[in-house]
Amino acid sequence: MSAHQHAEGQLPHEPEKATLEGRNKVLGFWIFLGAETVLFGTLFSAFIALRHQVLDGPTAQHLFELPMVFASTMILLTSSLMSVFAVQAMHNNKVKAMIGWLLITILLGLAFLGLEITEFNTYVKEGHTLKTSAFSSSFYTLVGFHGAHVAFGVLWIGLLIAQILKKGLTVVTAPKIYLSAIYWHFIDVVWVFIFTVVYLMGKVG
Amino acid sequence: MSSNHSASGEETKRHKVEGPRKHIVAFVMSLALTIIAFAAVAAGEINTTFTYIILVGMAIIQVFIQMAFWMHMKDRGHLFPKIAIFTGVLVVFSAVITALYWVWW
Amino acid sequence: MSTQAAQTAHDAHTHTHTVKRYRGLLDWLTTVDHKKIGILYMIAGLFFFVVGGLEAILIRIQLLKPMNDFVSADTYNELLTMHGTTMIFFAAMPLLFALMNAVIPLQIGARDVAFPFLNSLGFWTFFAGGVLMNIGWFNGTVPDSGWTAYAPLSGPTFNGTHGMDYYVIGLQIAGIGTLLGGINFMATIINMRAPGMSFMRMPIFTWSIFITSVLIVFAFPVLTVGLVALMFDRLFQANFFEPGTGGNTVLWEHIFWIFGHPEVYILIMPAFGVISEVVSTFSRKRLFGYSSMVFALVLIAFLSFMVWAHHMFATGLGPVANALFSIGTMLIAVPTGVKIFNWLFTLWGGSIRFTTAMLFAVGFIPTFVMGGVTGVMLASAPADYQYHDTYFVVAHFHYVIVGGMVLGIFAGLHYWWPKMFGRMLNEGLGKLTFWTFFLGFHLTFFVQHFLGLLGMPRRVWTYLPNQGLDTMNVISSIGAFLMGFGMIVFVVNIIITWIRPRNAAADAWEDGRSMEWSIPSPPPEYNFKQTPLVRSYDAWWKEKMDGKTEMTPAEPVGPIHMPSPSILPLLMSVGLFIAGFGFMYDHLVLSIGGLAITFACMLLRSVFDDRGFHIDPEEEVHA
Repeated sequence: MSAHQHAEGQLPHEPEKATLEGRNKVLGFWIFLGAETVLFGTLFSAFIALRHQVLDGPTAQHLFELPMVFASTMILLTSSLMSVFAVQAMHNNKVKAMIGWLLITILLGLAFLGLEITEFNTYVKEGHTLKTSAFSSSFYTLVGFHGAHVAFGVLWIGLLIAQILKKGLTVVTAPKIYLSAIYWHFIDVVWVFIFTVVYLMGKVG
Repeated sequence: MSSNHSASGEETKRHKVEGPRKHIVAFVMSLALTIIAFAAVAAGEINTTFTYIILVGMAIIQVFIQMAFWMHMKDRGHLFPKIAIFTGVLVVFSAVITALYWVWW
Repeated sequence: MSTQAAQTAHDAHTHTHTVKRYRGLLDWLTTVDHKKIGILYMIAGLFFFVVGGLEAILIRIQLLKPMNDFVSADTYNELLTMHGTTMIFFAAMPLLFALMNAVIPLQIGARDVAFPFLNSLGFWTFFAGGVLMNIGWFNGTVPDSGWTAYAPLSGPTFNGTHGMDYYVIGLQIAGIGTLLGGINFMATIINMRAPGMSFMRMPIFTWSIFITSVLIVFAFPVLTVGLVALMFDRLFQANFFEPGTGGNTVLWEHIFWIFGHPEVYILIMPAFGVISEVVSTFSRKRLFGYSSMVFALVLIAFLSFMVWAHHMFATGLGPVANALFSIGTMLIAVPTGVKIFNWLFTLWGGSIRFTTAMLFAVGFIPTFVMGGVTGVMLASAPADYQYHDTYFVVAHFHYVIVGGMVLGIFAGLHYWWPKMFGRMLNEGLGKLTFWTFFLGFHLTFFVQHFLGLLGMPRRVWTYLPNQGLDTMNVISSIGAFLMGFGMIVFVVNIIITWIRPRNAAADAWEDGRSMEWSIPSPPPEYNFKQTPLVRSYDAWWKEKMDGKTEMTPAEPVGPIHMPSPSILPLLMSVGLFIAGFGFMYDHLVLSIGGLAITFACMLLRSVFDDRGFHIDPEEEVHA
């Protein structure tokens, strides 16, 4: 239950599933991700329905820059790999390595957010705001929801690093780390569809 | 907890051998699929419908790879996660069909 | 599973520390005990049920005679909107959650739900949302676009006041609570069942709640997105549903009904479960066709996601879509018919006791069949062009929601009341409740079928005299008053029972079949002194038939780990409530301040581990 109870090396192999509380959390989080799938899916369908309603505003072909999107994609993909390394380090009970991987994860997450903010800034300057058209509204809502998830993930993982430093890796903190990693992969999975459906298909027309 | 440890000691050893290799393979495959998708669009000379098919295909394969390896969905004890995600996908599927065919006419 | 849990509990016991425990009001505000949260849900649900009922009475007074001017057209719009929204989201849903919380952990032999803290958070966010929406009445700006909030009527162009903002934000906040509840009960039923209770040994009410939770988890996010889009339209001039700037109003209809159709099944499924339990108990028979009942539940749930566009036949989706959704809708009659026949065969040859709960259950069956039959009529797309937007539709959905779900809830409340409160409700008053409510219901809504066929449109504040509508409207209004009287009798029954001392035995009806009847009424805080071992379907009945007086234990008696109470869920909901007003009135400080409270509470919850405390059942007995 607490840090002093499990000295280093005494944790079970998968500490996130060692207690009933931990197993409950993992299961509950997966159900939550099922709900998130529907949430993003509905945002996607709203975007797909409204994607051609650009009115006088700039079109998708005009707006989107492939190199920028590619850079964002690479950053998020790499950060997803970093967080899977963190979980692997946790399973091998290497706490320092785990914290290192987590730090790289959130740094990449911050880089992604920075790029997204720059991107949105450019769009606003080109006259593409939330109010411009149905296309712009659905675009900002979908991509913005994803961005908000990334921002929440960065804050969450940051808080977890602080907790690990304070409490150590225990059967209480381990499920949190595991779930934050699952969450982070899920965000990356959503991004795969965003760059495909929003950016690449938008570019094709 | 201690009784638990000795029982799973064997398992722990077996797991420890498992390195980062499969995750790196998953990463490289995701990378390749992403590049194919971007290249298909950057080339810009392929017919639109065909490009769409390539894009969606690459995305679905990539998502399967990431879910199986990085989100551990291929591992044992992931029946309910699979049910949760695929039920969600079913609802999403009907919503997307709707958006494509039953919103404008 | 459970031995390990017990071991963990024991480990923690070695360095336990005292947790502050509260008394009185603060106990109720901080509780994470599923039984107390169930009671909170019930009180809040009954309160909103009365509010929505009063709105219904006002509607029926207005329609008592032609060209009545009891309320204005605008007020009438507000009344019908608030009646629908309140009844569905703030009366029906919490009453279902009340039964879920009160019964599910007991039926599966668990000490609590999987996430007690989230359970409490779910209740308080629901309550904050309900209060926020109803505050509109005091503010003079009330939602008035119907519970479906069709765009563009609900959009900023045609609805410039703050009325619909209350709807959008109130529902959004309440929706968070409902979603949390759904996740919680899915996880609870999957992970927390007592040893020996396989899926096919679960009581049928537990099955129905499991399926209900699945529907909640996959339907509510759709509503969330719809409300976010409508909120962006209204507050930040986005263009999702604004035709003038490229938006599409049919998109709202789709989003609303992709959520909305599963939602009405969320309402009826638990009633199916309650009726199955009550019919089986008071026929003193095992439920007929248990596995086909489970299969029917799953099939209905699956189909419920595939039929939403039958609410939109008149939109003009075209013959292909209309035909598909028509057939899909009619298919639902098959699994529902399976359930009806199973109930009848359970009754067949049973030694039936007509308690109040049983009366409600037996009243439910034909009433629900009538609602189902009009449902199949409405499912036929060409005929629907005639029924659309008339009182025929109003009659149909009140037959399935009131005649189905509300009768089910009354049956459930009368049935489990002794388990929740340790007191038997008065059977005489209960039967009076049933007969007045049941007759009043049929008086109110049966004639509305014919009003609809005569062409009386729904949602219109009045009608002209001498069109053949006058008499039937009078009958309908009289029925509504009778239902109101039945409700008053129910409240009187609660009060009278409350004054008397506790009198309920553990197995209050003597014929209990599932495990909630094997423990005292009301149960101790930890429910089960020892986690029970489940040896068959109808676990408690099996033990009784084997001559036992209690369940076979699956663990030795030992200290029981309990989660600590917490005020954070209440504070988080207050934060969301404040932020809601901030968004509505464009007040940045309020919105950021409210969200800051909520996030600060989340931070506290994450940083400080909840170690809980321990109860030693043996010591309690001696004390």
